[in-house]
Amino acid sequence: MAALKEKRTCGQRCEDFGRFVWNSDDGTLMGRTPEKWVYISLYYVAFYVVMTALFCLAIWTLMYTLDPYTPDYQDRLKSPGVMVWPDTYGEETVEIFYNTSDKASGKKMANILNEFLKPYNDTKQLECNNYNCTKGKYFIQNTFSAPHHTKWSCPFTQSMLGPCSGLEDPTFGYNCSRPCVIIKMNRDGQENVAKIEYFPDRGIIDPSYFPYYGKLAQPTYVNPLVAVRFSLVEEKKAKIQCRVVSHKISYENFHDPYEGKVIFSLKALK
Amino acid sequence: MSKKDTYNMFEMDGDMDKKKKKMKKKEKLEGMKKEMDIDDHEITIEELEMRYNTSVTKGLTSTFASQVLERDGPNELKPPKGTPEYVKFARQLAGGLQCLMWVAAVICFIAFGIEVARGNVTAFDNLYLAITLISVVVVTGCFGYYQEFKSTNIIASFKNLVPQQAIVIRDGQKNQINAHQLVVGDLVEIKGGDRVPADIRIISGQACKVDNSSLTGESEPQSKTPECTHENPLETKNIAFFSTTCLEGVATGIIINTGDRTIIGRIASLASGVGNEKTPIAIEIEHFVDIIAGLAIFFGFTFFVVAMFIGYAFLEAMIFFMAIVVAYVPEGLLATVTVCLSLTAKRLARKNCVVKNLEAVETLGSTSVICSDKTGTLTQNRMTVAHLWFDNHIHAADTTEDQSGQSFDQSSETWRSVARVASLCNRATFRPDQEGVPIPKRLVVGDASETALLKFTELTVGNVMDYRNRFKKVVEVPFNSTNKFQLSVHELEDPLDLRYLLVMKGAPERILERCSTILIKGQELPLDEQWSEAFQTAYMDLGGLGERVLGFCHIYLNEKEFPRGYPFDPDEMNFTTSGLCFAGLISMIDPPRATVPDAVMKCRTAGIRVVMVTGDHPITARAIAANVGIISEGSETVEDIAQRKRIPVEQVNKRDARACVISGGQLKDMSSEELDDALRNHPEMVFARTSPQQKLIIVESCQRLGSIVAVTGDGVNDSPALKKADIGVAMGIAGSDAAKNAADMILLDDNFASIVTGVEQGRLIFDNLKKSIAYTLTKNIPELTPYLIYITVSVPLPLGCITILFIELATDIFPSVSLAYEKAESDIMHLKPRNPRQHRLVNEALAVYSYFQIGAIQSFAGFTDYFTAMAQEGWYPLLCVGLRSQWENVHLQDVQDSYGQEWTFSQRLYQEYTCYTVFFVSIEICQISDVLIRKTRRLSVFQQGFFRNRVLVSAIVFQLLLGNLLCYCPGMPNIFNFMPIRVQWWFVPVPYGILIFVYDEIRKLGVRRYPGSWWDQELYY
Repeated sequence: MAALKEKRTCGQRCEDFGRFVWNSDDGTLMGRTPEKWVYISLYYVAFYVVMTALFCLAIWTLMYTLDPYTPDYQDRLKSPGVMVWPDTYGEETVEIFYNTSDKASGKKMANILNEFLKPYNDTKQLECNNYNCTKGKYFIQNTFSAPHHTKWSCPFTQSMLGPCSGLEDPTFGYNCSRPCVIIKMNRDGQENVAKIEYFPDRGIIDPSYFPYYGKLAQPTYVNPLVAVRFSLVEEKKAKIQCRVVSHKISYENFHDPYEGKVIFSLKALK
Repeated sequence: MSKKDTYNMFEMDGDMDKKKKKMKKKEKLEGMKKEMDIDDHEITIEELEMRYNTSVTKGLTSTFASQVLERDGPNELKPPKGTPEYVKFARQLAGGLQCLMWVAAVICFIAFGIEVARGNVTAFDNLYLAITLISVVVVTGCFGYYQEFKSTNIIASFKNLVPQQAIVIRDGQKNQINAHQLVVGDLVEIKGGDRVPADIRIISGQACKVDNSSLTGESEPQSKTPECTHENPLETKNIAFFSTTCLEGVATGIIINTGDRTIIGRIASLASGVGNEKTPIAIEIEHFVDIIAGLAIFFGFTFFVVAMFIGYAFLEAMIFFMAIVVAYVPEGLLATVTVCLSLTAKRLARKNCVVKNLEAVETLGSTSVICSDKTGTLTQNRMTVAHLWFDNHIHAADTTEDQSGQSFDQSSETWRSVARVASLCNRATFRPDQEGVPIPKRLVVGDASETALLKFTELTVGNVMDYRNRFKKVVEVPFNSTNKFQLSVHELEDPLDLRYLLVMKGAPERILERCSTILIKGQELPLDEQWSEAFQTAYMDLGGLGERVLGFCHIYLNEKEFPRGYPFDPDEMNFTTSGLCFAGLISMIDPPRATVPDAVMKCRTAGIRVVMVTGDHPITARAIAANVGIISEGSETVEDIAQRKRIPVEQVNKRDARACVISGGQLKDMSSEELDDALRNHPEMVFARTSPQQKLIIVESCQRLGSIVAVTGDGVNDSPALKKADIGVAMGIAGSDAAKNAADMILLDDNFASIVTGVEQGRLIFDNLKKSIAYTLTKNIPELTPYLIYITVSVPLPLGCITILFIELATDIFPSVSLAYEKAESDIMHLKPRNPRQHRLVNEALAVYSYFQIGAIQSFAGFTDYFTAMAQEGWYPLLCVGLRSQWENVHLQDVQDSYGQEWTFSQRLYQEYTCYTVFFVSIEICQISDVLIRKTRRLSVFQQGFFRNRVLVSAIVFQLLLGNLLCYCPGMPNIFNFMPIRVQWWFVPVPYGILIFVYDEIRKLGVRRYPGSWWDQELYY
């Protein structure tokens, strides 16, 4: 016992460790003979091979049970998120600040919007979503009638945004105090957009864009957008909340500021 | 015990060790030696009066006495300076595991600091973790402190609160005062039954005998007379020592030392000079912490390198390193260990063992040598009649404490004569008003042998006081050292019979000299050669048993020669004192406690060596050792072999002798190597006539041989050895305060057999702690792998920090503690004590098996459940890989999943919490399986029984309920990041749980079937 209790010096500890690493008396390397190391390594290799195989089997089974078109659950997606473009962030919230006298700042905003609207290019849309949707009602599809065993998606073209499409005014109004922002509602598979009243009145998202049948069924789907043009009072910062008005979409989730609505600040300097 | 042996031993010791501590001790003892050089016993009374400014007739003056009291302080043993409470508390915070947690907390703070400095203000996890770690250490510290505080209180309640009184003569007046007010120079009177109040030089005395057993352990009474008989103060007859008991007679004396300056005070202070040893469990835990720290740094470093390789910034990789190191700290283990130990402590307390230090609970279990004091521990500490010889037969008397043993045949005429002599020729009397007390427990005025005889006759004949009254005593000659006998003359019970009866008892050979006839079966036969020889044989036999033998004889005095009214003269002895009729022999011993032989036997089967260390005579010590089984039947000492083979002692091969009796005198001439040799070669050892210091040396020698030593004792003389031992066990009732202070454990019922219970519980807790630790360590891997995968494969984090803390400190605590209630797998009392070098609490096999096999399976279970929850909500496994940067980007509100659905940051965050929860649930389910497999290390769980440990079953139920509460209680998502998960995700890990169970059963089967095989070596922990 006495030997066990003695405080060993660092040198002794090192020596002990050295002996542990290679003990010439029993020919052991780190406490095992090389032969035993081989055995134990083989055992562990076998163990992990089996475990990995079991794990892969479990994941394969999991994938096998999944429906490729619709997720099993949408527990977290009760209400769609809403986002505004240009998506420039300040400290925490979205802040769309620009300077009318500074061409670069307006240009930056316009670039963001142009980049964002690329998939909505009229020619592109007519190419991939060449389907004439009936406006004003849900576009229910029970069959895969589109090419490649997919479903049709309604086209949403840039030009639908009118003055905010960037086609007429490539600056999107960021050269003066009438900037455009684009509101996008996140897509999810739920049929939760009924008769919706929008503000402003023109910004109706047509129900024919819903329901969304998922990436696999509607690979060319684009989200319908709403563009808003503001007339800003000079030098004033405006805090704007855009929300989706629908009795099925909640917008009062304290913990998710982007659920069903988006809040952003808009400010133009001269 | 001579002064010389006492100190020479230490010089020998000093040569051996050159360590500083020892040197200091030596200096202290050298100092003590000087102090001990008193000559108060050698100087004349006049010189003594001069020295202490006192008078042998009038004593001190009160004024001077109060001055001396002022100068020297009260006459009491100062309790050893108690450890201050804050130090005790600080000790609770500074164990091996605690240090690990402190380091982890500091690392957490540093990591938090780095995060803040980098502007990542949201990462509070590290701060929470640090705070939790510190709180765990502090809370368990408080718990441990409270436990020890409680047991200290129990022990303190046992202290003798009645102040001792003493009769002192001051200003020529006799006063009774509190003993602690006595001062040097005081003239005191002591009488039979008193405790000697200080070290006293005897001035005058009458038949004064003291019992020195509290000082030396010797049960033989020592007579005290005014003459100086030896230059050594410990040997001389004219000094009586503090704390010894005056058995009979009266004496007056002058106090020469008080309080801590008395011999006993010095021995007590010797104990405080002996350092406390680390407990075996503390050593084991340190070893375990070494393993953990080694693995943590190894893992952390490996992944640091991997992270750097992947392309993380240095600082980020550093934070990963810290997080991994911290994740390795088993937060719940400290609480588990503390609770398990205190549960056992509680269980022991119920069996009358109070443990002062929680860690000492396990020490008894690792004990391989018990050094036991004889008097009071192994024996009852009271003389009792053990054997009688009459009718040419040795009869055994009942020596059990409760008179439950077998008695002998009492029908013989001779027996009646022996009993009559024993009853009449006896001056001892019972103290009054003890009718309700059982006879063996009654208080008696008289010396030890007479007390024994009185109780014996009271038990066998009945009402001795009344019996004595019927035989009126005419004259009596008390015992003296020249005659070596005691006689009395009585009238007979029958008023018509006018003869006198002379009864005599004394040293057997002296009694026999005076006898001419012997009583056999009631017949008086001439005492011829044949009977003399029979007597000699019986006397030798009884003496060989270490018993004190007395001879009894009687004679009816001729009524012609000694008519009624004959003037008997005790000094002249003008009556017949030879030609008597020999009745029989009675022998007495301080008998072993009834439970001791069985307990010693159990210790032996448990591979524990019991060594007797006593201050008593070698013969008595040996007899008791043989009686209780410390020296087993058929074992011989070197001397026995020499005698049997009729060869000189030197020619005997020492290895042939199993037993060995060494006296203090022999011990002082032995070097420490010789002592080690003796202890190594003879399995059965008895040390007799040892001084307190020699006890210390014996303990040290055992420890040098690698044993874990328990010392039992009750006297102040045992306290240094109690302190030195790995575990000191003091007696609660008979034990002195000094012994209790020095001990780690107190036996409240003074029962040696309780030690066996302690050993059993200690061994059980060691095994069960091993199981608890294995259980607790396992989940470290499923807690760590999510983070490793998160770093390397960049999946969304599968398991969060707060969730881990809930596993460690809430749900898994109960099952791991419940393993403390597990029954032993085999008969642990038939195994050898564990070898502290080989049989570790946490060995490599345990860590590796828990971490890399069971822990690995649990990780796979967790990831299966994680990927299931992710995939079913829309995130396929392959999409998850590399998703991290998008997933954690607060500014991305439309990250697309595998179905094209777009998720805001908060939605993703709640999905992450869902993952935490399913991972948590997976660990819980696997841990249920884990706790079931940990019930046994070797046996199949089916052999052990699933439901025998009820606590464990309820712990599992509780764990599940708590898990459900965390998952489904409203508000949890935003407070503790638990989500109400879908019910089927509870069942995803179940197959893995079953796999764990089946795999471990296969492991145990292999271990049982092929002991010593490769499988056993690698997989048995």
